[in-house]
Amino acid sequence: MASLSSLFDPELLRRYDTPGPRYTSYPTAPQFSPGFQEADLREMAAITNGDPIPRPLSLYLHIPFCTSPCFYCGCNRIITRDTARGAAYLTRLYREVAMTSALFDRDRDVEQVHFGGGTPNFLSPAQIAEVMDVLRRQFSFAPASRLDCSIELDPRFITPDEVGELAAAGFNRASLGVQDFDPDVQRAVNRIQSVEQTLAIIEACRTHGLQSVNVDLIYGLPKQSLEGFSRTLDITLEARPDRLAIYSYAHLPSMFRPQQRINADDLPSPEVKLGLLQCAIDKLGEAGYVYIGMDHFALPGDSLALAQQRGDLHRNFMGYTTHAESDLLGLGVSAISHIGPSFSQNPRDLGSWEQAIDQGHLPVWRGMRLEEDDVIRADVIQRLMCDGALDYRDLGRRHVIDFTTYFADALARLRPLEDDGLVELAPDGLRATSHGRLLLRIIAMCFDRYLPTAAASTPRFSRTV
Amino acid sequence: MTSPLVFPRTDASVVADDGDALHFCSTCAFSQACLSEGMDKRALMDLHVLVEHVGPLRAGEHVFREGDPFGAIAAVRAGTVKTYQIDRNGHEQVLGFHLPGEVIGLNAIHGDRYPCNAIALDTVMLCRFSFPKIALLAARLPNLQQHLFRLMSHDIGVASLFARDNTADERMAAFLIGLSRRLAARGFSPRRFQLTMARTDIANYLRQAPETVSRVLRRFEKDGLLHIKQRDVEILDLPRLEALALAVLRD
Repeated sequence: MASLSSLFDPELLRRYDTPGPRYTSYPTAPQFSPGFQEADLREMAAITNGDPIPRPLSLYLHIPFCTSPCFYCGCNRIITRDTARGAAYLTRLYREVAMTSALFDRDRDVEQVHFGGGTPNFLSPAQIAEVMDVLRRQFSFAPASRLDCSIELDPRFITPDEVGELAAAGFNRASLGVQDFDPDVQRAVNRIQSVEQTLAIIEACRTHGLQSVNVDLIYGLPKQSLEGFSRTLDITLEARPDRLAIYSYAHLPSMFRPQQRINADDLPSPEVKLGLLQCAIDKLGEAGYVYIGMDHFALPGDSLALAQQRGDLHRNFMGYTTHAESDLLGLGVSAISHIGPSFSQNPRDLGSWEQAIDQGHLPVWRGMRLEEDDVIRADVIQRLMCDGALDYRDLGRRHVIDFTTYFADALARLRPLEDDGLVELAPDGLRATSHGRLLLRIIAMCFDRYLPTAAASTPRFSRTV
Repeated sequence: MTSPLVFPRTDASVVADDGDALHFCSTCAFSQACLSEGMDKRALMDLHVLVEHVGPLRAGEHVFREGDPFGAIAAVRAGTVKTYQIDRNGHEQVLGFHLPGEVIGLNAIHGDRYPCNAIALDTVMLCRFSFPKIALLAARLPNLQQHLFRLMSHDIGVASLFARDNTADERMAAFLIGLSRRLAARGFSPRRFQLTMARTDIANYLRQAPETVSRVLRRFEKDGLLHIKQRDVEILDLPRLEALALAVLRD
């Protein structure tokens, strides 16, 4: 593996700083249509049950509530301090669990559970444990050795003892939101979070035997400076989280209302923003982290890094994962499912989701059935995002196509990227250069059949860096 | 690319290949019988006017139902047709899966009603032959008659294949090898094909629980006999799988 510092080429990063999808799915969510409804989801579940060896299941649970608004956030969330809303939400969530679990044969093991939000720990540890109990009753869980249970935690609203309760409920991974420890930045984004409480939660995760701790940082936030972010990185790396995500802040106030409360004048210049990324990459390299892909880094012994070395890394809506393909069931408001050759999404507004469940319906808002071409391109993009490389013969064999003929257009689109040194093209495959690895999605975009139409409307995707 | 077609994926040439008065469809169930013995053009035209192209039928549509009046046999041109009966307790019994080039409705010949149901498992196209007319023609054409008899006796053989006492592994191996040979005979890849039938259908046909189907296939995969991804099967060790199937298949 190339050293991390070789990832960084400021000139290329500047040139390719264009909006692009993150490819947690292909086709991406803007392609979903309201023509895909409840009956379609039932049919897809039945089809996947009919596979000779049905795939295991992954569950994603969306908890939409947050106590306080972080101004940078682009997630689907509801700000409230009323904990009763959490209990009311769970009542309906359990109904959704009951309706959807009935669609799947009982010999299909759940191998992955992820709680995201919002703030999952808006719920009390007792409530979260109750959700896990309900899930265990309604689905068949894989043995603990094969089961990944992860939860996104806001360290401001959980105590070290409560982390122990979550571990007892079966969670073995946690992802902590940090963003930046600099007090000026924290004030500007309305997220005051002390170093002490954050480190105490990381420590508690270790004490209670969680296998992996991830920390999220963001660069490009208002008031961010090289000195401040550098200090944040030092403090974070001192705690040696197994995984680190360094996200780029995308300021799109017209799309994400909370961002309107950020003063655009406080945002770092493009030069400073690139400097922040370089600082992060340098420090992570010195600390011995390896690059996984997109915004993700891990310690060399972490399961993600090991899976990447084996060429066995996968990517789904929950990000990078070691689990080979599973059918993903999203539960809760706005959650996305990937069942067989289909995507489907629950309503993004709480009212519609509640209404569907109250009327006894699976809350499907929109989705799509994948055609053969979609499946082939999804595989190509997934390999690219996970391996940073494509093996044409392997892909051609898998899909019974002649890769270079099938993708003649895409390969032509890649030529300028080759000239710019992002990618090396060979007769039997391609490989992102070390400079191109931070720009994988630019390479992936060449294989996206929907992009010309998707890009024609206003920016729906965040910037690539 | 020179690799053979992976069933049931059909390229444009197969779908467009409707045959005409003097040519057979590429998957025609009768082409071998007629061509090998040199049928003259007149006889060929006589046969072809009997043929009615039916479809496409979508997955879940019935070709015929038990008790429907029998008047025609049909050859599968594309896709898979499942035949089944409903027993006295209301349980489905899968009788067989019919692939391109194979004929359905033969078991109706002795009566005047279809004794089973036939349903499309994916997009299916058929050639339908009026049975009284083809019987009349067969009386004039010994080759055609012989071929009809051969098809009928083969149909009986297939139905009794899994009636005997074999292990779950042997039955699964025989099922896969059977599919592989039948597909190979129609020009499809014998090593790579899609299982167009659901796990419950395979289980029902092999008289196994669905969980057993998956367990046996997982074991086959672990032993390097085959690789499965969703519905796609790739046989990696054909000789070993054939050896395992030998207990069920006699040749």
